Parts: sequence; C-alpha cells; structure tokens
Amino acid sequence: METLTEWMSIGWLAEFVNDYDWVWPICEIFHFLGMTLLIGTVGFLDLRILGFIKAVPIASLEKLIPVGVMGFVFNFVTGFIFVAGNPSGGPGAYLANTAFQLKMVLILIAGANLLAYYVLGVARAAEAVPVGGDAEPAAKVVAVVSLIAWFGVIYFGRMVMYNDTLLYAFGL
Amino acid sequence: MLQLLEAIENSALPTFIRESPSLFAYTLVLSLHAMGLAVVVGLSTAIALRLLGVAAQVPLAPLGPLFRVMYAGFWVNALSGLGLLAANATGMLANPLFYVKIAFVVGGVLVMRLLRNNVFNTSLAAGGSVPESARKLAMASLGCWGAAIIAGRLTAYPYLIEYYFGL
Repeated sequence: METLTEWMSIGWLAEFVNDYDWVWPICEIFHFLGMTLLIGTVGFLDLRILGFIKAVPIASLEKLIPVGVMGFVFNFVTGFIFVAGNPSGGPGAYLANTAFQLKMVLILIAGANLLAYYVLGVARAAEAVPVGGDAEPAAKVVAVVSLIAWFGVIYFGRMVMYNDTLLYAFGL
Repeated sequence: MLQLLEAIENSALPTFIRESPSLFAYTLVLSLHAMGLAVVVGLSTAIALRLLGVAAQVPLAPLGPLFRVMYAGFWVNALSGLGLLAANATGMLANPLFYVKIAFVVGGVLVMRLLRNNVFNTSLAAGGSVPESARKLAMASLGCWGAAIIAGRLTAYPYLIEYYFGL
C-alpha cells in the first residue's frame, strides 16, 4: 500500500489540481459522462443477453462496446487525477478508503468478466444466437455479473466521500 | 417563501435523509440519483449515437421498449432528486445552476418523448435510412443531457460559479 501511495504521488499533478480550482469539477463532469457511456452501451448489451428486446442481434450491440471502453478511459484518466491529485490527504487517503477499495475490486471483477466473455467463447456462442433467440446461460451469468458489478461501482463510487457512513453501518 | 422552504427542510423525511447515519438515508438517495442518471442518459446516448450512425448494424425498429427502461431511470431520478431537493431546499433553490440543470432535464425528457412518439413509433418501423428530423433530435438529446450533467455537477460548486461567472 505504501509503495502504491508513493507510486501514485505525482507532484506536478497534485500541484495542478491544487492550483486550478476548476480542474476537479471538470474531471467530475467527465467522470459522470464516461459513466453514462459505459452503462448505456454495456448495460444495453447486458439487457439484450438477458432476453430484453430479442429482435436486436447480440453481435450488433457488441459494436457499441468501443463507446463503453471510451467511457471507461475517460473515467480511468479522471479517476487517476482524483487519486494522484487529491488535495486533502493525497493518494493515501483514497487507497485507504474502504468504499474506494470496494469500487476497485468491482472494477476488476467487471474487467475479468468482460475478458471471460470474449476469451472463454461465451461471446462467440452469444453472437450466433439468432434474432429473437435466447442467449445461453453462460452469457446470462456474464450479463448479470456485469450489471451488478457496474452498478456496484456507481454505488461505492458515490460512497467514497461518505466512507464514514459505510464504516459506521458495519460497526467499524 | 424562505420560511416555507425551511419548514420543508426541517420536516421529518427531509431531515431523516439529510441527517440519519443510516445507509438507507442520504447516501442511498444520492447513489440512486447517479444510477438513474446512468440509465436514462446512458441509454438515451446509445440511441442518439445509433441514430447518428454509430453501430449502424443495430436495427432501430425494435428499440421502442428501451424507452420504458429509460423512463424508469428518469422516475428514479425524479423521486431521488425530489428527496435531495427537500433535504436542502434553501441551498438548492438559491443556486442558479440548479435552474439551468432543471431546464436541460426538461429539454432532455421532451426530446425523449418526441423520439419515442415521432421516431420510434412510425418512421423507422419500416427500416431504411434515418430521417433528418431524427438526427436533429439525437443531437438535441446529446446536448440536453450533456448540459444537464455539467450543470448538475456544478451545483456542488456555487462559489466557483460566483467567482468565474458572477452568478
């Protein structure tokens, strides 16, 4: 953790965030816009895999995934700025924050889930589902994990600033 | 007026939302507001991008039922937003950015209505190219929701708005 804190301590970035009061809100705006791109595309694909709007081919919705990845990149970059440029407590304050840790775990789960979808042949089977057809159970598991993970990311993302509330609720 | 707003703020439910340390109070309402936003703006954006030519393989005609999900997201946000507003009525209603945000949300919902009633019910059902009017609505949708997010985020920084824009 200390190594990670040290590695994330980027002097010029912290100074930049500190010197210009508009940097933080602008990053927040992009963090929200990126979230909508990610949920709007990945969530849409998940809904179809789960059987909603079956007239849309699964393979066609996968063409929206690059938009979701773009949203994730927005959020990775702005999120990195939040952590590395944190004016109160530096990166250490984020890395020690329980809500932030849970958010990162859920992002890793969502990422591994997406990787599993493409690497384990689940996507190939899903793409072969005909118009109006039902996806395989494996694809549905991926879709459910994806929805839970990403909405969990939103929840714990919002909880970062209210970590005390989270800890209090769990008696910590 | 101020007295009325204070009375609302200090009534039972708004006080609970604002002050209870429970996970089912302020933080839940705030999180729901972000999740509903992701649903209504996310799917609106996906539809708008598709109308503008992104992922052109996605057939437009069957997308109608998506609007039910978008409206569900919208209502989650209307209710959670009302809760957040009641919990901080004096602060929010004195914030110029709040009115800007609401104006763009109203615009976004009107565009969503027009898309549902005028585009996804008729002209696209037969397939073929996207009419110019639908492309304009798609751009209006992206613009309204984007502006609503920008203004909404900035309601948390009234001092910056005052400093830079004198509002």
